Amino acid sequence: MSSDKPAFKYPLSWRILDHAENVAALWPRRWSPLTGYLLLLPALLLVFVLVIGLVYIFDYSLHELDLATYRLKDAFSLVNYHVALKSATYRTVVLRSLGASFIVTAITTVLAFPYAYVMVRARSSGTRKFLLISLFLPFFIGQVVRAYGWLIILGKEGLLNTLLASLGLPPIKLIYNYPAVVLGLVQYMLPFAVLLIAPAITAIGEEIELASESLGANWVKTFRHVVIPLAKPGLVGSAVVVFTLTLTDFAMPEILGGGTTDFIANSIYDGFFQLSNPGLGSALSMILVTLGSVFVTVLFSLAGTGTLVSRENVR
Amino acid sequence: MTGSRSKTAVLWSVVWFNLITLSLPTIIILGASFTSGNIVQFPPDGFSLKWYGKLWLLEDFKAAFLRTVYVSVICTLISIPSGTLAAIALARYRIRFRTALQVYLLLPFTIPLVVSGLGMMIIFGEIRILGQLWPVGVALCVINLPFMIWAVSATVNALDPDLENAAANCGAPPLQAFLTVTLPAVMPGVITGALLMFILAFNEFLVSLFLTDARIVTLPVSIYNSIRSVITPDLAAVSVVYIVIAFVAVWLLDRLVGLELFLRSK
Amino acid sequence: MTRKQNSGQKLSRRQFLTGSAAMVGGALIAPGLVFASTPKKPKEIIVRAWGGAWGEALKAGVADGFTAATGIKVRLDFTEDNEIKPKIWAAVDQGRVPPIHVNWDTTTNATISALRGVTVDLSDLSNLKGLLPLAKPIGLKGYPLVNTYAYVYVCAYRPEAFPDGPPKSWNVLIDPKFKGRIALYDDGIGFTPVAVLVGGGTRKDIPNNMEPAWQFYRKLKKNKPLLGEDADFTNWFQNGEIDVACTISVNARAAKQKGIKVSWTVPKEGCKVDTDGLWVPKGLPPNEEYWAKQFVNHALTKEAQQKWCSMLGLPPVYPGIKPPPDLVGDVAYPTRPEDFKNLLRIPSKVLVENQPKWFAKFNEIFQG
Repeated sequence: MSSDKPAFKYPLSWRILDHAENVAALWPRRWSPLTGYLLLLPALLLVFVLVIGLVYIFDYSLHELDLATYRLKDAFSLVNYHVALKSATYRTVVLRSLGASFIVTAITTVLAFPYAYVMVRARSSGTRKFLLISLFLPFFIGQVVRAYGWLIILGKEGLLNTLLASLGLPPIKLIYNYPAVVLGLVQYMLPFAVLLIAPAITAIGEEIELASESLGANWVKTFRHVVIPLAKPGLVGSAVVVFTLTLTDFAMPEILGGGTTDFIANSIYDGFFQLSNPGLGSALSMILVTLGSVFVTVLFSLAGTGTLVSRENVR
Repeated sequence: MTGSRSKTAVLWSVVWFNLITLSLPTIIILGASFTSGNIVQFPPDGFSLKWYGKLWLLEDFKAAFLRTVYVSVICTLISIPSGTLAAIALARYRIRFRTALQVYLLLPFTIPLVVSGLGMMIIFGEIRILGQLWPVGVALCVINLPFMIWAVSATVNALDPDLENAAANCGAPPLQAFLTVTLPAVMPGVITGALLMFILAFNEFLVSLFLTDARIVTLPVSIYNSIRSVITPDLAAVSVVYIVIAFVAVWLLDRLVGLELFLRSK
Repeated sequence: MTRKQNSGQKLSRRQFLTGSAAMVGGALIAPGLVFASTPKKPKEIIVRAWGGAWGEALKAGVADGFTAATGIKVRLDFTEDNEIKPKIWAAVDQGRVPPIHVNWDTTTNATISALRGVTVDLSDLSNLKGLLPLAKPIGLKGYPLVNTYAYVYVCAYRPEAFPDGPPKSWNVLIDPKFKGRIALYDDGIGFTPVAVLVGGGTRKDIPNNMEPAWQFYRKLKKNKPLLGEDADFTNWFQNGEIDVACTISVNARAAKQKGIKVSWTVPKEGCKVDTDGLWVPKGLPPNEEYWAKQFVNHALTKEAQQKWCSMLGLPPVYPGIKPPPDLVGDVAYPTRPEDFKNLLRIPSKVLVENQPKWFAKFNEIFQG
């Protein structure tokens, strides 16, 4: 047995690869222009699930609920849109969500820009890493857990009220109101905003700033006339993301808002599950989709697409 | 950073304000989880690990934790091939309507999560898979897929196409060129993307709320349900699980690809 | 979610598949079944419940006893009653397994589900015999649900805030003195019909002229009420956040049992009395449905009724059970006909047809 010379064999991985190559060769050469689409196909199909979902929701929104059977009627009608647009409640909810989107976008941008700037320009890599880690940790901890943290801090028996009590001051109501929701949202959005602004600042050569300052501009002027205008793509991207994520948020108003500061997403949820009226909930959904798209289109046409489309697809 | 003292002072005070805002909930949860009392209060009522002990005995928690791992793994496993191939196709192949397709692939971000969640709840119901666990993983992959595509795109764009051409010139068949040149080059992007997909799926709450019920509840949803009733320190201990996992993920991300990747301008 | 009626084909195919699978499975395990007197036990039974004192009472009074008797674990699911409803409906319509085994529900919501045909008939439960007439749902054939106890939406108050004695009229809710220190359910349940009377209407106005209630609510809104669910009321009383509330006596009693000074009364306009019940959704695997029904049957035994309802402090449907010592002769524990004189019992048909509209109107007034 041992005297037999083993026949020469290619390594296993080669043979597997050859077979794979043969299988791949079954894809005819003249179809090769289609290869790209074939590679795209799984992703396209996955996203298509959302398109079908949207079609369903649009369809639901065009049917009125029959209160006798709690099923949607077969006839088409615009009743749900009528109810949603006429109702003072939903108008308040929409305005509240839009208002929060503007406020949160403004605060977050003001807070995120210096953070991104300091992080990018930090001389020591240790500082940079510290700032990055402080950013990624909450980003990876998730919204529900962070909202829970705020509940412990702001609650009636929470950290702040305990501090107040130890100073002999009466407790104040810090949760279940609009400011609490805004605070929660700002904290939630900060990592998104910083991560979208930072690459734009990286793209600005430090020598440009130096040039500006050597020409006599102080740092405030340099920021106003050089850094901020050049960072515009990042700022636009960040604004779009923060605005739309706030507009459509559910968890913060639900957990920190205490049922009296509903946003549109909460009303949609209630339409489906509290009122058992998928038609109305769907109409509100379509209104939300429309509002978001209109805002993004307007901002893009005013300020350009920023860093979002075609180059970086960060949320 | 260049510049005056006032610049440093102003910028750093904003940075410190951010740091406190970002980390306060985490620190407070950590503190609350070690209380030996029966309610969450300040200062904590002594130090103990009893809530962690209780957590370990909680069957419901363990089951929800395992389910969350399961859906996150499914999400990651689906996103790796689909996202990687899509990113390579967009960067390397002649694709008509490229911009339109890119916008289409961003739909998971542009359609509000609440609408995506309801839409998938309706579809999954219609095809009778609502109430099972694996579709939740698919759904989480769908809504976060752009992260995967983005992460891989960043590395494909940085790869010099001449390398692939050189491999082909040296006689490597297309698949071999792909497996031995393109794929290793995009590996850092794949790792970043996979890590993001896993951790985002692990945290995802709203879509999971629509797609799970008491039989298959996942951890974020069960935390949310507990918040709505009574807040006890065991919830803080559950949350610490999230904090620990976030630490591990950040550490891994830094070790494998470096966090500074996110500061690059292209 | 449920409009599509034309899914019969898919459904029948699925039924065929499961049917044939069951036949194969049945053939395989049949020999074993000859000796088994009861269907295979599931690992657990999921019962939707309300949290706080309610969940504790169900666990101690019914669930623990059921587990001891059968070895089947009981998991309580605290999904809100309104939220579980459309989820069960969708599951039944689409032929999927419903998310829970037993729903502990208000009689009104349960009746709506029964009318929709998603509930299992419970007529064959052995413990239905001899229960008070209250147990039988009104206007429905058989027992698509079974009522388990009655309760009163009382006017609960902190005696310290009322030195001159208990509130005599519901008008205290709009007294500026209590601004921000009053509370209602977040959908107005339990109060809306009474609000018609407080707002100057009569019992005959319900349900056709609810305007007096809406006017009262508009005034009430200016007095900044807290809106919540059962467990919230207990917390609010415990934390001293409210002075007066319209809530089920159970929640006020839970605070009282924790040493908080809370009392309750029926003001001159009256209080709403109602019932809760249990039901089992259709679409469960046969063995799980069997054990879900057994759970309901267990909840109707004397021991379970005694413990469950005395923990809640509510009059059970099992006859002859004595009230807990602290509730003898209490307004929240009506047993004799004269106890019901000042209590408002709205026919279940009226509630089924109108309560959802009332919720929507309440929301519109308080969220707007």
